[in-house]
Amino acid sequence: MVTGQTALSARGVRMEYRDRASDARLVAIESMDLDVGDGEFVSLLGPSGCGKSTFLKIVNGLLLATAGEIRLRTNGKGREDAMVFQDAALFPWYSVLDNVAYGLVCAGVARKEARRRAQPLIELVGLGGFADKYPYQLSGGMQQRANLARALAVDSEILLMDEPFASLDAQTRELMQAELLRIWNTAKKTVIFVTHQIEEAVYLSDRVIVMSARPGRILADIRIELQRPRALEVKRRPEFANYADQIWKLLATQAAPVGPS
Amino acid sequence: MARLRTANERLFYGVLGFVLITVIWEVAANLGLFRRSLLSSPLLIWNAAVTDFGSGTIWPHLTTSLTEYGLGFGAALAVGVPLGLAIGTFRRLNDFLSVLLFGIYSTPKAAVAPLIILVLGIGLESKVVLVFLLAFFSIIVSTMAGVQAAAERHHDIARSFGASRWLEFRSVVLPSTVPFLLTGIRIASGRALVGVVVAEELAANQGIGFYMDFFGTFLDTSRVMLGVVLLGTFGIALGEFVRRVEKRFEVWRPDIR
Amino acid sequence: MTATTFRVIAPRVRRRRSPIGRWYRRNERSALGLAGLLSFFALWQIGSMAGWIDPFFFSSPSDVFTAAVEEVQLPRFWEDVRYSLTEVTVGLVASVVLAVPLGLAIGWYRRVSFTFDPWLNFFNAIPRPAFIPLVVLWVGLGIEMKIIIVFLGGFFSIIVPTVEGVRTVDRQLLDVARSFRASSRRLFTSVVIPATVPFIATGVRLALGRLLIGVVIAELYAQTKGLGVMIGKAADTLQSDRMMFGILIFTLLGVVTTTAAGRIERYLQRWRPSMNVVEEGN
Repeated sequence: MVTGQTALSARGVRMEYRDRASDARLVAIESMDLDVGDGEFVSLLGPSGCGKSTFLKIVNGLLLATAGEIRLRTNGKGREDAMVFQDAALFPWYSVLDNVAYGLVCAGVARKEARRRAQPLIELVGLGGFADKYPYQLSGGMQQRANLARALAVDSEILLMDEPFASLDAQTRELMQAELLRIWNTAKKTVIFVTHQIEEAVYLSDRVIVMSARPGRILADIRIELQRPRALEVKRRPEFANYADQIWKLLATQAAPVGPS
Repeated sequence: MARLRTANERLFYGVLGFVLITVIWEVAANLGLFRRSLLSSPLLIWNAAVTDFGSGTIWPHLTTSLTEYGLGFGAALAVGVPLGLAIGTFRRLNDFLSVLLFGIYSTPKAAVAPLIILVLGIGLESKVVLVFLLAFFSIIVSTMAGVQAAAERHHDIARSFGASRWLEFRSVVLPSTVPFLLTGIRIASGRALVGVVVAEELAANQGIGFYMDFFGTFLDTSRVMLGVVLLGTFGIALGEFVRRVEKRFEVWRPDIR
Repeated sequence: MTATTFRVIAPRVRRRRSPIGRWYRRNERSALGLAGLLSFFALWQIGSMAGWIDPFFFSSPSDVFTAAVEEVQLPRFWEDVRYSLTEVTVGLVASVVLAVPLGLAIGWYRRVSFTFDPWLNFFNAIPRPAFIPLVVLWVGLGIEMKIIIVFLGGFFSIIVPTVEGVRTVDRQLLDVARSFRASSRRLFTSVVIPATVPFIATGVRLALGRLLIGVVIAELYAQTKGLGVMIGKAADTLQSDRMMFGILIFTLLGVVTTTAAGRIERYLQRWRPSMNVVEEGN
């Protein structure tokens, strides 16, 4: 729900780690300050290795930052954040229904109840009728839909998405981008979306946070003033191209530039 | 379409090969190309089979061997799987035992057979123990491999959603281990069979190994070959069965990334 | 109104480590492994001396060591070693020399492989010791019998994967070669053989393990000469220290062959994306 409140507030987040092989200390994230408001769709965009995925993992609790602090607004019930992973994201031994219900089961919900709650979300992401299928029976796009449904099921305020469409082919990817916006419109979550594709970031987000190459820091925070709801054809508009161009020029100053795709 | 044709072709030539060799063998034996006492012939083997199965003399041997096999293998599973899961899960324990396990694993268990027979005599127990040893290490090693092969990504998912360690074990580690365990079982099933035969040949008064050894001393080639055929058939049937089960769970195998 | 409470994610606390601590962290795995091995021998020794383990059946490590020292000074021991080594070498070489070309040939000609596949699989499924009474019938208990048993173990271990390797050569690679009008022979040497090498490597690895078992079983059965006989005779004369020594020798051989086989296989497979290699033990 867009309440004008801050959902996430990060200050001075820094990530170092020791490279096993060379024993050198590497800095993944130099220092990040970030505020994300309720209901905002924010993209973290940058070249490979710039630390955007690392940041997400820190928020999710999979990694511990070396320094800095992150505050997530709680609402007293359950987790504040849920992650949508990039690939190999479903358990091959669970059906779609059990996979989607997994997040709830982890949170302590009884299996039966979890399945009941998972069902409407399966419908929402467009997988109605596939609840009993197994991941190997689904296409890449469908698997990512289930992935998304699982994260939505836990009803957290914040959705963390780590390049969820990276392993999909171009057409499916575009389709999923549009689908994501449709679902987001209904579910109204705060989204932090990691990608290295400029076009994807501009299309989906309210704000695009452009990051530098390693050691990662924020280069720019660009507000995308394109009207919602956004159909795919918005990508052909001149305003869109302007944003993309602006970001492209920014990234071109980095060691590993990414072209508009 | 092409697959169906290949499958049929495979069957056709397989059967053809079987028939051809059997016929050639039989004909060569009848033509006196070699001494029947040395190489026997399909017909003689068949006769021996009919005789021994009909009179029931071979059944005690078969049941003894099967019992030894079943008990030893079952015990190896019952002990090996939980232990393998435990060792695989606790990294420090794994490291501690790693050199030992590798050493024992690399030892040809047959070398320990005389010791076992010395301690336990020539009865059922020594065979069961040998079978157990042979199967156990395959099972434990493959179970450990399975635990460690659980995809990093799947562990991440469990932790991301806040699963308890026990839930993480049940939902990620256990299913990931299954394909590896099945492979281990397939390998162990062959090893265990070796154990049965070795132990019986060395010191026994019952069992298929004993049967072959016994009739070997009496130069009864047909019966010896019968034993070989029976063992081979059993080995294939078992292997095929486990392979089918393995295939069904192949999707559970975490991809190497 | 939702309360504005926050969950705070705090950074990791870094601990200073002493140099020893750092060394330990890096070498923990080997340190623990070594500790495990030493504990095993220590427990064994203590158990023997305290009487928990019957020294009649399981000599203590110190006794085994003394027995070992005595044994290696006897010429008979080295005769046995030479005997066993001969079996292994001849058997291995023979099986490689025969199995590889045969395997390639059988695998290459589709109909031939269909015909012989069932037989190969059948023989591969027969537990190696099952061949012993038969072979003894044919050639007696001498070194020939052992070589044959060793050979059989190696032969089927190598030929089955080789055939499979030839058959699973990537169709695309073959098509590419064919589109360049490669002759059959060139096709074979430039595509099929390199592609099959990993499979042959697997076969050799399996063979090495099975060879060792073959040696042990054949010698135990025949009780004429060889290292396996040392175990058998020691068992008969209730000299458990020599028996343990024999077992340990085979452990050593087993470790060496398993490690060597693994290295060879990995080396020959180095251009391949890694496969699930589940080890077969002895």
